[in-house]
Amino acid sequence: MPELPEPPGDAPRVIDQGSIWILVASPSIWAAHFLISYWVAAVYCAKAPNAAPLMEPRWIAIGLGVFCCAVIAWLAWIAVKRYGGVFLIFEEITESSERGRDKFIGHVSLLLCVLSAVAIVFNIIPGLVLGEC
Amino acid sequence: MEHLFWVLLIGAAVIWCIVIGAAVYAQKASVPDREQQARHFIVWGGAVFPTVVVGALLVWGLVILKDITPNEGDRTIRVDGERWWWRVVYDTDDGPVPTANEIRIPLGETALFKLTADDVIHSFWVPSLGGKMDMIPGRETQLALTPQKLGNWGGLCAEYCGGAHALMRFDTVVMEPDEFDAWLAAQAQPATVDPEDEGYQVFTEEGCGSCHTIRGTDSIGPVGPDLTHFASRERLGAGIYKMTPDNVSDWITDLDNMKPDIDMPSYPHINGARLEALVSFLMSLE
Ligand code: HEC
Ligand SMILES: [Cu+2]
Repeated sequence: MPELPEPPGDAPRVIDQGSIWILVASPSIWAAHFLISYWVAAVYCAKAPNAAPLMEPRWIAIGLGVFCCAVIAWLAWIAVKRYGGVFLIFEEITESSERGRDKFIGHVSLLLCVLSAVAIVFNIIPGLVLGEC
Repeated sequence: MEHLFWVLLIGAAVIWCIVIGAAVYAQKASVPDREQQARHFIVWGGAVFPTVVVGALLVWGLVILKDITPNEGDRTIRVDGERWWWRVVYDTDDGPVPTANEIRIPLGETALFKLTADDVIHSFWVPSLGGKMDMIPGRETQLALTPQKLGNWGGLCAEYCGGAHALMRFDTVVMEPDEFDAWLAAQAQPATVDPEDEGYQVFTEEGCGSCHTIRGTDSIGPVGPDLTHFASRERLGAGIYKMTPDNVSDWITDLDNMKPDIDMPSYPHINGARLEALVSFLMSLE
């Protein structure tokens, strides 16, 4: 086995050092947001009377969404800064190096961040437009 | 709402042409050194553009949904889905007016239906007047309909609810507002029944009154449809048979053929003069 070249960044390197956590992080936030939204809505609709004001769940929904998107933005920032991820890859990453791996993970994480953020926004929209149980 | 259809149709046609055009172009053109552009095209055309379009359609669709599900109407009608018929109650200033298996609404006014279910999930649907809405046990759902044309529009249960599901329909009669008011006032009245009436005697002897209510008499059974103004309905048996003496007679004696496996027993032993008296009594409940 050839010796691997020194990695350039300070990103965690191999799987057992947790280097791929960033990949699963944003979809997990999406999943958590999805679940929590359902819980909050179900509890709210069960406890609040039919004609309850619509503002409270609205603020919860917006707050939760903004918070989740903020965390995702932070993840995206890490993906760019530490992993050197970019949106568009023009040269295929074929290099079998730590640098190449990091770039690839950064790229995929970035795309997943965008996907998750869009999904969360789509999740919130119906609540804001309809606002009833 | 009609706009939505055309926008979707034309939009879909345009997008289809672009996609097919791109595919044809890709087949024909030799484009080895345009990879850079191609990637931009994929990201903008394949990800950003669809996301924006779908997002916009989502908001638009939701706004329409909000419009067609208002929370108030000019009058409230409560409909309870039962296996396999409809309990209908008009809320009026003078209290509730119960009927069954037929809905009448005035032209041009928004009727707000408050829908519940007694046993299993049913679904309330008058295709000519609007969307359908599930009726869920333990919950109240709402549907607002604003009829634009006079006429009799068929309604039905749109969620499988057991054996006689396919025979669970109702008529929705759209009337001029003043005719409707007169009709509702008549429905609010109790029936005029002579307790000595021969047919009514049969009705009580056979125990029909333990399931059916005829307001203004001792029959106050809550199980089956309210029969106070039974003969004023256009149809019998949850909108499935013409309201004729023959059909009513068959309904009583040959229910297994008319509407099998429902929660009313058949009474094949009622016959002759007793049956005639019972049927003409029922047909007098206008
Ligand atoms: C066990 C309760 C029960 C008894 C007893 C009963 N019925 Fe019924 N009846 C029902 C139910 C439930 C329905 C609705 C059935 C359906 O359409 O699914 C019904 C429907 C009807 C209808 C049709 C109503 C409509 O709106 O079209 C008539 C008429 C009727 N019953 C007459 C009678 C007569 C007459 C008797 C006595 C000989 C009787 N019923 C006894 C439960 C009962
Ligand atoms: Cu049904």
